Amino acid sequence: MIEPAWAATAPALVVAVTALVLFLVDSIDPESNRPALLSGVALVGSLAAMGVALVYLLTGVGESPVSLYGGQLVVDQMTLFFHVIFTSVTTVVVLGSHDYLDSHPYQAEYYILMLLAVTGMAMMAASGSLAVAFVALELASLPSYALVAFMKQNRGSVEAGLKYFLIGALSSAVFVFGISLVYAATGTLLLDGIADQLVEGTALPGVLGVGMLMLIGGFAYKTASAPFHFWAPEAYEGAPAPVSAFISSASKAAGFALAFRVLITAFPVASAGVQNALDWTVVAAVLAVVTMTLGNFAAATQENVKRMLAYSSIGHAGYVLIALASLTGTGDQSLVLGAGMIHLLVYGFMNTGAFLFVALAEYWDVGRTFEEYSGLGTQAPFVSVAMTVFMFSLAGLPIGAGFLSKYYLFAGAVNGGLWWLALVGAVNSALSLFYYSRVVKALWIDEPDEPHTIESYPAALYGAIVVAAVVTVGLLPGLFLFDGVAFDAAAVLFS
Amino acid sequence: MAESLAFEFAPAIAVLPFVSFLVALLAGRYLPKKGAIAGMVATGGSLLLSAWTLFAVHTGHAYQQTLYTWVGGELVDFELTFGILLDPLSTLMLVIVSTIAFLVHMFSLGYMNDDGQTGLPRYYAELGLFTASMLGFVFADNLLMAFMFFELVGLCSYLLIGFWFREAGPPSAAKKAFLVTRFGDYFFLIGVVGVFATFGTSMFGGPGVDDSFVHVAEQALVGEASVNTFGFEPQTWFTILGLLVLGGVMGKSAQFPFHTWLPDAMEGPTPVSALIHAATMVAAGVYLVARMYGFYALSPTALAIIALVGGFTALFAATMAVVKREIKQVLAYSTISQYGYIMLALGGGGYVAGVFHLTTHAFFKALLFLGAGSVIIAMHHNENMWDMGGLKEKMPVTYYAFLSGSLALAGIVPFSGFWSKDEVLYETLVHGLGGSPILLAAYAMGLIAVFFTGFYTVRMVLLTFHGEPRSETAADPEPVRWNVKLPLAVLGVLAAVAGVINLVPVHAVVSAVPEILHDWLYHGPTGLNGEHYHELITNDAFAGYTSGELLGLGETGTLFASAGISLALAVAGSLLALVLYRGPDPAEHTDKLGALKPVLFNNYYQDEYQVWLAEGATVRVARLADRFDRGIIDGLVNFVSSLSLFSGDRLRRVQTGIVTNYAALLTLGLTLLLVAFGVMQGWFV
Repeated sequence: MIEPAWAATAPALVVAVTALVLFLVDSIDPESNRPALLSGVALVGSLAAMGVALVYLLTGVGESPVSLYGGQLVVDQMTLFFHVIFTSVTTVVVLGSHDYLDSHPYQAEYYILMLLAVTGMAMMAASGSLAVAFVALELASLPSYALVAFMKQNRGSVEAGLKYFLIGALSSAVFVFGISLVYAATGTLLLDGIADQLVEGTALPGVLGVGMLMLIGGFAYKTASAPFHFWAPEAYEGAPAPVSAFISSASKAAGFALAFRVLITAFPVASAGVQNALDWTVVAAVLAVVTMTLGNFAAATQENVKRMLAYSSIGHAGYVLIALASLTGTGDQSLVLGAGMIHLLVYGFMNTGAFLFVALAEYWDVGRTFEEYSGLGTQAPFVSVAMTVFMFSLAGLPIGAGFLSKYYLFAGAVNGGLWWLALVGAVNSALSLFYYSRVVKALWIDEPDEPHTIESYPAALYGAIVVAAVVTVGLLPGLFLFDGVAFDAAAVLFS
Repeated sequence: MAESLAFEFAPAIAVLPFVSFLVALLAGRYLPKKGAIAGMVATGGSLLLSAWTLFAVHTGHAYQQTLYTWVGGELVDFELTFGILLDPLSTLMLVIVSTIAFLVHMFSLGYMNDDGQTGLPRYYAELGLFTASMLGFVFADNLLMAFMFFELVGLCSYLLIGFWFREAGPPSAAKKAFLVTRFGDYFFLIGVVGVFATFGTSMFGGPGVDDSFVHVAEQALVGEASVNTFGFEPQTWFTILGLLVLGGVMGKSAQFPFHTWLPDAMEGPTPVSALIHAATMVAAGVYLVARMYGFYALSPTALAIIALVGGFTALFAATMAVVKREIKQVLAYSTISQYGYIMLALGGGGYVAGVFHLTTHAFFKALLFLGAGSVIIAMHHNENMWDMGGLKEKMPVTYYAFLSGSLALAGIVPFSGFWSKDEVLYETLVHGLGGSPILLAAYAMGLIAVFFTGFYTVRMVLLTFHGEPRSETAADPEPVRWNVKLPLAVLGVLAAVAGVINLVPVHAVVSAVPEILHDWLYHGPTGLNGEHYHELITNDAFAGYTSGELLGLGETGTLFASAGISLALAVAGSLLALVLYRGPDPAEHTDKLGALKPVLFNNYYQDEYQVWLAEGATVRVARLADRFDRGIIDGLVNFVSSLSLFSGDRLRRVQTGIVTNYAALLTLGLTLLLVAFGVMQGWFV
């Protein structure tokens, strides 16, 4: 417990305040051209938030959930775990953005939008009612649209932003419609209240079922899962690469945080109402198979590295959906959920790192396709090693923690009786090695047509990539020591 | 207190040489003797610690400790561990291995460093790793750990044989040694898995071990325990397991038909030949049989096969040694032959005799190899005995040490080899007379081999050291230094007197003279001592050997008759060689062999048929497998991958870039889900 209770939301507050500080700085000196100040403030803010979240998590502030404003906000260990994911991704992305934005105008707006989006994500992970969930989702989404379209002079960026916004608007409509149907069936928006209403069953299983499915649609949109994934390849490809990193890692994690929270708390699989209306683990299983197969197959045929990463990101959403599908009530539930959370944590680092490498390539203007990456291994060996680590870790080779988190996921699925789903996951994983290793091959083995001209080695972007790589590798042994934190955090949800 | 302290330090016996491996590998270049000193310090330390544990076992008890469990826990119903087992057998072997490793390191100073060889850090690193793996193998407390170190030993052997990898011969010999021993190890590995599947443990036993697989097997045979024998009779199944493990033993100990790698392995540096191919690695095979002797003693079939293989190999290799021209080749074949004797002893129920011969042979064969190394230094790396002669006056220390080793090898009284070889033959004889005609056949082969052994040994000594020098280098040999002479002197003395540890014939007459080794091995921990093995051997439920005696001579009479026969044959062989090859300028007599000559020179065409097996049979099968793999398996894989790429391409086209299409598809997807789950959950009813 913590006194006063609102202090439990400190990670979100720190991020929000940092956004306001940046706003202040920008309004005092709007014409300023001091990128180091802006990125510095954003970095300090996200670091501070990460520190607070870590301290809270490790000291067990959320071991008995802190309920605020009549249950509208809930801070437990899982909330804090996700706060660590959001803030650490933000830290790395902010660090990488410093060089990427270079002398681009409106940098203050960039960081403000990003920090506001993180605030929204933090609220998503802490939402205790569907109303808060919707508002938080919008708070996370709206800045994201603007961020994707941040390169105003770049047609691709603007187009991607618009598409993202349109699909997002449609998905939000589905989501909010789902909320209204659930409200119609249960008469409450509080997650705990919904669960209480469903213990005895429901008089309107059809209404509730459609509502739940539409809620799941909202989650699918945020996590870029099928069939709500169409925005993702476009948005990730068109957006500035650091923004792609941010959205594909943090935003996806936020979607899952919300999905875990809502589905587990409000719609326990065992309760009679849920059984009558919709067994959402089956929906998750279907979506998992479709999403990972679609993501991996489409990724295999891409020529553009960034677009490949976009589809791979869809594939990884499919892997995490395995965790959701395995919450069938049999087996060790906290193991399954913890596995999903661990995968999101690891994914946050390895995927962010991979996108930042793309950012670096864009910074150097080497091009976007696999062929154009060839020979980078000799000219920038340091980051190329890091990229190799990211690729192999994403594929699940035991060079980074991606191996272990995937292993936990599949083990959790087998544990929950869904061995066939684990098998599909493993096959998909094997396929993914094909396209990930294409990057490695291009970097180290292929000869470039003409040598790249690399003029400078941006320190901050390098630093961000190295941090991501070190954490990716370090978590491999680290998880053996600290995976208990995730499993304990997951266990709070079931107690 | 001191005793437990010795056991606490015991793991360091293997760790020390491993450290010297690391030192030589990482910093060998900067060290004064390129890692030799580090190696000597480490092996010297191992020797002292081994001696300490030997003493501790002598005054106290055996010791077993599990050091590390790497697979285990509640979810798995068996444990895979690393641990050490210190009992009379393993401590004795530790002392032997570390003594010889120490002396070989010292000798290498003369053979490698003084000769200005390059790549010395690599050499000493490999020697260190080899010593560490061998010592780890010796004190392993379970079969799986033994297997792992067994493989490490094989790897080091490969590296050391191929030390001069820029020449044509060594890499090829290294590959051959690796492949041939690996072939045997396949069976060993299957055996290890079989032991786990059957008993759920692979512990050898020792104090504190409740259920060793050896003990469980024994109980299963008398009906006190039940194990999964996969539908076989327990004794049949245990015989199969024993024979599978024996595959590895025969590969490492160069028993027929896996002996072909050892003569080729002489391509390695001579100190390596002494360490690996005489005293330790080859000993690993037979040591393993001794280690799990309680298991083999349960199966008369396995014992008979061991004895037959041993006796045949002893004779077979001895006949090939008769015609060899290179000094190291003679020694190589004599090694194969002598290990045949050890196998013969173990198979014939002579556990103590086998360990005894293992001990004496380790010393005199290391001595002979180092002596040969000294000669080779003197001869500027010419190994042909027909180019030598007359080295006796030029290198007296080498000569007398070599002579001591040779007499031991030939089995001339009172040198150590006589006592041990005699006991080997005696044990086999009495058990054969006790109603096992197969053992008698094996004994007969071993006995005939004694004659050949005497012959080729004396021939080797005469050609090398006696007569007139037959080349310029022999007339003016390169002098050798203390670091060569000292190991020779030490081993020369040991080869002469090591027999005192088990003077069985003397003990039979004057019972005041102790049979030290016999008592030593009998006092081991429960289930792992010679006494227990003797009970197993003579129990009808297990091997069921009984002792017989020669027509009316009585026990002591048989003992002396056996000793007399073997000594007479050894002397006869030696005298024949003396007659043929004495004088200042001996002639080659191989032509007198007639049609046998090419057969012997070509080693009974063993290599030829194994090459045919490899090239004619294996390559053909491999080609078929390759065709299957490429056509069917790869075809399938290629089909799957092109299918994936094709469908991936289709999926890609769904992403048209037109946002209204996306909205439509999204809505369509949601509708599909709604309809499907609506029907499934019955919302529309």
